Amino acid sequence: MKKDTLIMSFESSCDETSVAVIKNGNEILSNIIATQIKSHQRFGGVVPEVASRHHVEEITHCINLALEEAKVGYQDLDAVAVTYGPGLVGSLLIGIMAAKTVAFAHNLPLIKVNHLAGHIYSANIVTDLQYPFMSLLVSGGHTEIVLVTAPGVFQTLGDTRDDAVGEAYDKIGRILGINYPAGKKVDQMAAIGKDTFDFPRAMVQEDNLDFSFSGLKSAFINRVHHADQVHEELNKNDLAASFQGAVLDILSNKTFKALKQHPVKQLIVGGGVSANQGLRKRLAQEIKERNLDMELVFPPLRLCGDNAAMIGAMAQIQYDKGDFADLDLNADPSLDF
Amino acid sequence: MKILAFDTSNKPLSVAVVDDGKVLAHIESTEKKTHSVSLLPDIKKGLEQSNLTVDDIDLIAVAKGPGSYTGVRIAVTVAKVLADTLNKKLVGVSSLKLLATNGDKKHLLVPLMDARNDNAFAGVYVNNRDGRLLTVISDHHTSMKNLFETLEQYESQELEFINATPRLAELIQNHFPKASIISTEDSLPDAAKLSKIAETTPAVKDIDNFIPTYLRLTQAEHDWYAKGNKEDKNVSYVEEV
Repeated sequence: MKKDTLIMSFESSCDETSVAVIKNGNEILSNIIATQIKSHQRFGGVVPEVASRHHVEEITHCINLALEEAKVGYQDLDAVAVTYGPGLVGSLLIGIMAAKTVAFAHNLPLIKVNHLAGHIYSANIVTDLQYPFMSLLVSGGHTEIVLVTAPGVFQTLGDTRDDAVGEAYDKIGRILGINYPAGKKVDQMAAIGKDTFDFPRAMVQEDNLDFSFSGLKSAFINRVHHADQVHEELNKNDLAASFQGAVLDILSNKTFKALKQHPVKQLIVGGGVSANQGLRKRLAQEIKERNLDMELVFPPLRLCGDNAAMIGAMAQIQYDKGDFADLDLNADPSLDF
Repeated sequence: MKILAFDTSNKPLSVAVVDDGKVLAHIESTEKKTHSVSLLPDIKKGLEQSNLTVDDIDLIAVAKGPGSYTGVRIAVTVAKVLADTLNKKLVGVSSLKLLATNGDKKHLLVPLMDARNDNAFAGVYVNNRDGRLLTVISDHHTSMKNLFETLEQYESQELEFINATPRLAELIQNHFPKASIISTEDSLPDAAKLSKIAETTPAVKDIDNFIPTYLRLTQAEHDWYAKGNKEDKNVSYVEEV
């Protein structure tokens, strides 16, 4: 019988300090997440220097909790994994320095993990992945359609040309008086409101699989500003529903265009915006209407946002390939596939 | 006692392995390299040169700031994780106090770090009879103008400014023409000296809460407080979820 593999993984690319212990890439023994949301809410968004400071405050506590909750010691670990990009450089560095130190101190192999790959492989914790599969990656920093052809082999089919989808939610959220992160609240308001404003669906007519959200965001802001000038009262729920309606049309249009070009058996949705209930319903409904024989996989809510468990899930694939990093590993803030 | 000491507070990097005062390895770099890349390989190299493993180390000594925010975070993160993961003693030493070891033992020592716009991080230190550094004025962030006003009371003593950039040296010369000045190039931090200070510094009791000494709020926090906001003691700004 194959021996179990235990990986301790670190994630600190933005405003969550997370340390996990993952068994065989698909079983969470622990997944400690310390979130800084309440700190950054004071400033209306993530402040990089504040984020880095919090990571240093949290790091050893998270490591010890991760071991404690997993009921393992350093001697039980087979490798240490860490997110090395993309993300905020000052934030990434804390996880990287911590992971390198643990790897060095306990003579364990080090695995450098792409944060985006981690989001995709969070699905490995809830299902058996069947290659090739399609993934839609939607978060505050990313909006991508990625075809995964074999374990750890990624092909980006579409990307955003301007704002990430989660970023657009935060920006229009500010106009609606919602503090960052605005996605959840806008999603709730959208469920009540109606899509009455007819905001533009950018690039849906174009053949490519790229996204654009800045036009939608501008149309939203202009509409609200115009109403303010003429003292017109707009229904905020309808505004939210109209914004989300456009977002879902864009995401769904491009995703199914990609699926038509590359028919696969699984669609994996990852990243913070995959927690969006409207998106979950919409994709499920489209698959049904199109009669597609395809499994739709959303990670459980706890694995949608940034977390180290997903980094451990991806790291297992690299571990199996012997893809290890050295102690001179540095952050790569603009890393892509 | 075997000590592993390191400083990455500013551009230079210094790593030393010292056993009961004997320097076993000493790695210095002033080249513009990235500390995040070099620090662990240099620690590894230092231990290899000393024929020691990291398990043999009794105490980790780190320069905890002030300095470049990213620089001090790199060293402090490595030091606290290393001490915590291997259950070693940890000592944090002021990065300015470490620079004060580069001064003349008879002088009143003012180690500085240029914080731009004629501001600096500075402290005032003096050596006692045993050659131990004592704090006269704690490390703080200050305008050079205010620093000079503070120092006027000590004008009868021989002042020595350490780690002055050309701009700070010019300001110092204008104000205290008789003071000695050691330039940035001539006052590199030395981790071997850091280990010596660490020998007589109490160990960190709570490693989880050991953080760099920044001496400055972030701009965002500064602006937030300036608007009249107050920290809410009932809110935990970082929480486990």
